[in-house]
Amino acid sequence: MTIPNLIRKETRSALTALFLISIFVAVLGFPAVLPSDAPEGSTPTARSCVLLQSVPVANVTADRTEIYQGDTVYFNASLSVPSEGAVITNYTWNFSHAGVRHLFYGESPNYTFNMSVTGRLLIEINMTVTDSNNLSAWTQINIVVSERPKTFLQEHWFDIVLIGLIIALVAYYTYPYFRRIIKSEPLVTPAEKEKFRLTMGKGRKIMKQLLKNRMGFVGVVILVFFGTLAIVGPYIVPYDVKTISKDSSTFLNPPSKNHWLGTDNFGIDIFSELLYGARTSIIVGMVSAVIASFLGALVGLYSGYVGGWKDEVVMRLNDIVLSIPWLVLMIVVAGLLGKIDLTGIILIIGLTGWSTTARMVRAQVLSIRERQYIERARSIGSSEMDIIRRHVFPNTFPLVFANTILTVAVSILSEATLSFLGMRPAGEVTWGTMLSFAQENSAFQNGLQWWILAPGLCIVVVVLGFTLLGYALDEILNPKLRHR
Amino acid sequence: MARKSFRRIIAKRLVNVALTIVGIMLLNFFLVHLMPGNPVDNMIPRSPKFDISLKWELQKKFHLNDSLPIQLGWYLYNTFTLDWGTSYMSKQPVFNVIMGDLRWTLLLVGVSTFFTLLIGIAIGSYSAYRRGGAFDVSATSVSLFFYGMPVFWLAILLQILFTTHPLAMHWWPQLPSGGYYDTDKYGAELKFTWPIVLSMAKYLILPSMTLAVGTVAGVSLVMRSSLVDTMTDDYILTARAKGLTDYQVLRRHALPNGMPPMVALIAMDVAFIIGGAYQVEYIFNYPGIGWRTIKSIGDLDFPLLQFIVVIGGVAVVLANFISDLILIYIDPRIKIA
Repeated sequence: MTIPNLIRKETRSALTALFLISIFVAVLGFPAVLPSDAPEGSTPTARSCVLLQSVPVANVTADRTEIYQGDTVYFNASLSVPSEGAVITNYTWNFSHAGVRHLFYGESPNYTFNMSVTGRLLIEINMTVTDSNNLSAWTQINIVVSERPKTFLQEHWFDIVLIGLIIALVAYYTYPYFRRIIKSEPLVTPAEKEKFRLTMGKGRKIMKQLLKNRMGFVGVVILVFFGTLAIVGPYIVPYDVKTISKDSSTFLNPPSKNHWLGTDNFGIDIFSELLYGARTSIIVGMVSAVIASFLGALVGLYSGYVGGWKDEVVMRLNDIVLSIPWLVLMIVVAGLLGKIDLTGIILIIGLTGWSTTARMVRAQVLSIRERQYIERARSIGSSEMDIIRRHVFPNTFPLVFANTILTVAVSILSEATLSFLGMRPAGEVTWGTMLSFAQENSAFQNGLQWWILAPGLCIVVVVLGFTLLGYALDEILNPKLRHR
Repeated sequence: MARKSFRRIIAKRLVNVALTIVGIMLLNFFLVHLMPGNPVDNMIPRSPKFDISLKWELQKKFHLNDSLPIQLGWYLYNTFTLDWGTSYMSKQPVFNVIMGDLRWTLLLVGVSTFFTLLIGIAIGSYSAYRRGGAFDVSATSVSLFFYGMPVFWLAILLQILFTTHPLAMHWWPQLPSGGYYDTDKYGAELKFTWPIVLSMAKYLILPSMTLAVGTVAGVSLVMRSSLVDTMTDDYILTARAKGLTDYQVLRRHALPNGMPPMVALIAMDVAFIIGGAYQVEYIFNYPGIGWRTIKSIGDLDFPLLQFIVVIGGVAVVLANFISDLILIYIDPRIKIA
């Protein structure tokens, strides 16, 4: 709590105490000045006259005290009582949240209040009545603004789209088998058996080369470790990472036997957060890299294969996106969106990162387009779509795949950077948000070095793993580099 | 013939540069129009006592009542006449604010890029020269390690290790933890006297070092792979065969041919260096463009933000253009293509 806040709060409690004491004195003093058995000739003094005068009573009613953001609350102060023989001249409405004060003067006892600020807030509303005797009284009423609960569709639309795509893909590839089952034909044709054998052989060869490659081997080991962590992490955490502790003595505790890396500013175990964050960080990295690669491959295939003025236009657009510094673009988009969740972060990183892939795929497509087998395919009457699907895309795929792995590394870094600069996915724990909170709460001063060191090291190692694997795959899959 | 094609290439690139810059401005214009709220609402006080007719006057002044194409025309006119509007927070013209900050960012980025190139090229060429040796293996692994390191994390660690920051460890070399120069006894005015220039250098050490570490890794990796590529070419064998020393082969035959990918990389990296500079400036409180961006996001200072985007984009476009020119100069084969 900052000093001015403290002073303000102390002043407020002192004022309240003063107010209560004055009422107390007024009530106690009242019998003492009753003129019942006062001696002859003595009159009440001017001093006791002040005590006699009644004090106005401020009375506010609100139609509700817990609202969702964007809701309107109606306040009614018409039941306030002025002091004796006076009328209320002024109602002052004063609301404050998070240390910010706003003042409204109004003649009316009715007041409507509308809160559109995001996030959970406690809003204190002070109402002061002033009457024509120039006496005033105030009262406070608290309103809790909480986030509007999301509907199922708002919460899960991205998951639904993702799962739908996966189901569509699976359905597309399994459809022929279902048809064969219905027609009671043999499930696998010999040609498919041969194709499968060839693919497996190729895969085994690539795997062998990858494990023989020193960089690739280290990358695979790192990624197997963190991949396992990402899958099991949320189930083996020793403490829950989403419940905020109500006991302030558990905040910012240094490492101990129960909490290996200490606790954070909400009393959550940092080690648990580290385990939990593996999943979210890697998911953000992978999904946004897949989005970026998919878009990039689409744009690159189109502009490389179509050529001509359409290619020029697409490439100029690509130049524009490539020219705007990625971080600025992301920050501005994030700033525009306001509050962001995990889906928002994924979309921001994915939608701003496609241009390098597009350029690379286009260059590759330009060289593939002129090969003889494309001409042959065209001469036997393949449609353009078929050529792209069966000849051009499979030839660019290895490059795109290796590039996607490298993009995952960049996306994880981008997420950490965005989180650190304040564009945190709300209510989620990633390594980036951990670093951000650690910096905000001066972790080193509180003896919580591992709060900064551990997530940072995890990011470095995971990014290293993806980079090594990406380079190794590039070396293996890219025919130009293979025989060096 | 060669001269003519050179001119044609330059002309085509110039047209592309102009198109891209206009495209960035258009994108920026629509970005601003997508922003929630009315820009005038941020400029007038939120009090019922405020004379509302002033709001209509402001709306008219900023052409907010006109149709979208006319607004676009006014926007382009104002952009090219450097009338970039007024910052909400500092109430200064945006152009002045950005130019004031740009000096410091250019100083920081320039110093760090200079050292990056010097160190990166040295490390990269030596590892390519002794390929597979102890130095190569260790340099490559260290480079890869730093290549994936978040810039802000490195900045925090360096700040804790080496500065006078209250949270720092306070051991041997203590450098300032934030700011740009020490003022003399006359106050905050920037003068180019010896002690002030010296203090500027002192404030530059840590931020530029942080920026350099990540990029040195990238530069040395690319330098190494590009040199390894050229080292397998036949003319290197010829040069060896005619009895040149290893150093002569590297210096006279391999390096000039390994340079083009480097130049292209540096131009492509300008965007990433600017991105890194944002984080470094934020942590070291170095008042450049990045620091201003993050501050103006907090303040929702849209006029500043939109021109920061333009400046960043234009910087990258120009860097790419200059790198194209340099590439044409150092590699004559590109002229014909």
